[in-house]
Amino acid sequence: MLKKFDKKDEESGGGSNPFQHLEKSAVLQEARVFNETPINPRKCAHILTKILYLINQGEHLGVMEATEAFFAMTRLFQSNDPTLRRMCYLTIKKMSSIAEDVIIVTSSLTKDMTGKDDNYRGPAVRALYQITDSTMLQAIERYMKQAIVDKVPSVSSSALVSSLHLLKTSFDVVKRWVNEAQEAASSDNIMVQYHALGLLYHIRKNDRLAVNKMLSKFTRHGLKSPFAYCLMIRIASKLLEEEAGSRDSPLFDFIESCLRNKHEMVVYEAASAIVNLPNCTAKELAPAVSVLQLFCSSPKAALRYAAVRTLNKVAMKHPSAVTACNLDLENLVTDSNRSIATLAITTLLKTGSESSIDRLMKQISSFMSEISDEFKVVVVQAINALCQKYPRKHAVLMNFLFTMLREEGGFEYKRAIVDCIISIIEENSESKETGLSHLCEFIEDCEFTVLATRILHLLGQEGPKTNNPSKYIRFIYNRVVLEHEEVRAGAVSALAKFGAQNEEMLPSILVLLKRCVMDDDNEVRDRATFYLNVLEQKQKALNAGYILNGLTVSIPGLERALHQYTLEPSEKPFDLKSVPLATAPIVEQRAENVPVAVAKQPEKVAATRQEIFQEQLGAIPEFRGLGPLFKSSPEPVALTELETEYVVRCTKHTFVSHMVFQFDCTNTLNDQILENVTVQMEPTEGYEVMGYIPAKSLVYNQPGTCYTLVALSEEDPTAEECGSGGDVSFAFASPAAVACTFSCMMKFTVKDCDPNTGETDDEGYEDEYVLEDLEVTVADHIQRVLKPNFGAAWDEVGDEYEKEETFTLSAIKTLEEAVSNIVKFLGMQPCERSDKVPDNKNSHTLYLAGVFRGGHDLLLRARLLLTDTVTMQVTARSAEELPVDVIMASVG
Amino acid sequence: MGLFDKLAGWLGLKKKEVHVLCLGLDNSGKTTIINKLKPSNAQTQDIVPTIGFSIEKFKTSSLSFTVFDMSGQGRYRNLWEHYYKEGQAIIFVIDSSDKLRMVVAKEELDTLLNHPDEREYYNENSSLGFNSMGYFKCLHGNDSLVKFKGRFSSLLDIKHRRLPILFFANKMDLRDAISSVKVSQLLSLENIKDKPWHICASDALKGEGLQEGVDWLQDQMQAMKT
Repeated sequence: MLKKFDKKDEESGGGSNPFQHLEKSAVLQEARVFNETPINPRKCAHILTKILYLINQGEHLGVMEATEAFFAMTRLFQSNDPTLRRMCYLTIKKMSSIAEDVIIVTSSLTKDMTGKDDNYRGPAVRALYQITDSTMLQAIERYMKQAIVDKVPSVSSSALVSSLHLLKTSFDVVKRWVNEAQEAASSDNIMVQYHALGLLYHIRKNDRLAVNKMLSKFTRHGLKSPFAYCLMIRIASKLLEEEAGSRDSPLFDFIESCLRNKHEMVVYEAASAIVNLPNCTAKELAPAVSVLQLFCSSPKAALRYAAVRTLNKVAMKHPSAVTACNLDLENLVTDSNRSIATLAITTLLKTGSESSIDRLMKQISSFMSEISDEFKVVVVQAINALCQKYPRKHAVLMNFLFTMLREEGGFEYKRAIVDCIISIIEENSESKETGLSHLCEFIEDCEFTVLATRILHLLGQEGPKTNNPSKYIRFIYNRVVLEHEEVRAGAVSALAKFGAQNEEMLPSILVLLKRCVMDDDNEVRDRATFYLNVLEQKQKALNAGYILNGLTVSIPGLERALHQYTLEPSEKPFDLKSVPLATAPIVEQRAENVPVAVAKQPEKVAATRQEIFQEQLGAIPEFRGLGPLFKSSPEPVALTELETEYVVRCTKHTFVSHMVFQFDCTNTLNDQILENVTVQMEPTEGYEVMGYIPAKSLVYNQPGTCYTLVALSEEDPTAEECGSGGDVSFAFASPAAVACTFSCMMKFTVKDCDPNTGETDDEGYEDEYVLEDLEVTVADHIQRVLKPNFGAAWDEVGDEYEKEETFTLSAIKTLEEAVSNIVKFLGMQPCERSDKVPDNKNSHTLYLAGVFRGGHDLLLRARLLLTDTVTMQVTARSAEELPVDVIMASVG
Repeated sequence: MGLFDKLAGWLGLKKKEVHVLCLGLDNSGKTTIINKLKPSNAQTQDIVPTIGFSIEKFKTSSLSFTVFDMSGQGRYRNLWEHYYKEGQAIIFVIDSSDKLRMVVAKEELDTLLNHPDEREYYNENSSLGFNSMGYFKCLHGNDSLVKFKGRFSSLLDIKHRRLPILFFANKMDLRDAISSVKVSQLLSLENIKDKPWHICASDALKGEGLQEGVDWLQDQMQAMKT
């Protein structure tokens, strides 16, 4: 019947898939055949196949229709046709989550699983666990236990795997099957042994001691199954990772002994486990690497691939360990399997010397077109790493990247290349000109909008600073003419940036922008009109504020504030300063070895955290009048040791003229309840404690929150300014008004309670608990803000409130140290990548930008000079006097 | 049925297949009875509460029985109805020693015999309206009509079919078991007018009384067929 069907379909020319045009309702209608007697097994099996096909295609079955079809299907258990029965098992498994009352087949399945036909038994077990929920498990427990220790390997394996799945929902029941699993673990069948070990491990997973015991027991007796060995190695390496440190443990010895196992699978697993261990020493690595080296010359492609892939990974961390394998890797470069060859070359690139680069690059470009995109990405990453290592080679590498860029490729691949080029441009200023012009060529014919807009943005940023900015204009304007709206909008923005920074080009830019005003697309038109108007004013400050440096507020915050404003219209114009700032990109500098593809960090998390705080604080009536939340300190500060009676952590919230300290307290004594908990604060000066909001009661192990509200002094904070040129240490010498140390004391009423019943005594007594001092630093008053174009922002603010002073940093010996200390201390955002100090220079200029509470931009330029000690000339600018004074006072 | 099959039937080579539902409260002995009726080499030693249902087969001198042995536990009883249209006969098992739950058994029996419930049946269809049958036909074509008719023509439900019902007053070996006459009184079996029924006292553990009941059922099935 089935064959006939296929044939007919082929004849009608409907393609090779006989199920192509199935309709759900028709199939379900057909399922009525199940009710007929006698049963026609072939026809029924075919219909079941259709139903399964539909479900697998993502067709949605309603509960009613699924249940109806399911119950019709249950009648098919009458038939003894083996194919039909197996189809039934599959259907049960698939429909177990869609249909209702699927437990109806429980007895039928248990009958099959205890029956005589071994072909039915394993599949029946696997179908059974799918329809069993935790309440039904008791009823089949006996059968499961029997099946686990069954003589037939397929039944035993099925039962073990099913138990593993059941473990997720009903841990307590499955836990009781340990003895059976133990017995199965000594089976001769390799699969049964492996599955039994897996089950045993997952039952004991939470008990380190038991896992250790299990491992040592099995290592002593030895196992038959290579799969089981692999699993043991994985468990052992996980334990080792958790232990962190001690390499003398028997676990490591076990893994190492596996390197001499007769199964290649086990040997590889052990080698890869050793390689992946954190902080592994070269000595420990050596045996693993030599095993992998042997695999490199194996006739099996899979082994060669595994070995070279692992070596590639090792090369990132321990290039020296892999150098020993260089010869073998060289041989693999010409391997017929391109994946192996690519990995071999990229590994060699990582380990090899500068001189070998040219040769390897030539080699790899010969077959670049033959390998898949994923491997091309690997190559790009290797090149990126090389550029960082040997900046002098950038010309060769760049050329290579551009050839790659010109070839066909998917988005991921192209993005990796563009990322790589951009990072090279950033690292190495010599390469900027060539890099930009190559990127320009790339966007001439670029199908990926994201990449095109990204490159346009980069051009807008870097182009105007180059020697010959006008040559980029043509490329950018071509985009306006040729591309679709998103790219056009990006191009318009880039054009405006050229106009804002270059007087000579301004007239031509204005002409171009005027043409863009006629664009079809709203966004493009809006941008063009806006930029045109700004540029026509010919004011530096406007250019800087609206073209070169964009908005620094948080977009969701702005949306909410505007919505609020439209709801309650007032006479006052909308104040942008009342909008919370975007929590600026904190992680700008990427870790050195992060692959290019994962460089972007999600910044949204930080923003939402601040919004959560804003909402929490807004809910407390006392804090309503404080205005918008300006900044919350990124990490709570612990005011107690971790293991004391009470654990208190503090988060600092800064408002325009107030600060709120949020204390998260946890009571770790189970025989006490604390009531009316406040944290009393003794400010040194300049601050005034306005009030406390107590936490009503602190029950054992449930965190509670209390707040302390402090007003900031409005007087001149520079009253006690330090003399210039003084000796400065960053350990907080000056009692400047913004920076202050509070001594904290937790006050509360203690009530004893019974740890078991939770009943409390009515009588309590007052008690206090001394906490560690809390420091408020300048950084708490300043929000980081990234100014993409620092120079423009500097000019925009103007020198009205400029202050300049010179200090000597006697405790600091290098420029890097000075820079990182200054950034950390002031909590401001380094701009123009000035936080990276070039090598072998003894002077450096650091640009910092931030927003002072109240919403005033604050810019700081620090010129550093290294002699024996570091001398620092600080210039600060802001639109207001206060922030400048504060910052100078705090540095002083 | 082809000529060959008929021929085989006459010669007694191939037996006619009959589908039977085995119903009753939990712990009344349904599975035990069915197990005892199977050939001795196919019997199982341990009987456990059935979950859902299981399909068993056994043969008598002239018929081949396929039994849907349903679970008697309270929460599964509403699933019986999925299989009603399957049955050509019903075996209803009663635990004669469980006087307390005799009323429950009676209630289940009444629900069974009145299935589908007339009131539900009206409610279900009133929204469609009886007169809309023709309209229905136009809309959904032939297939729906068959289904629609099927529900009305009472060919497939329990209430309107002349299904033979065999009662086993089981567990006669227990000391406090009541007689089969008493059981039939308690279940008011005399009210069943439109269906042939028969009650047998039985002891499924020893197998006493089972053959008598099955013989009766076999006679009834053959009588119905002719």
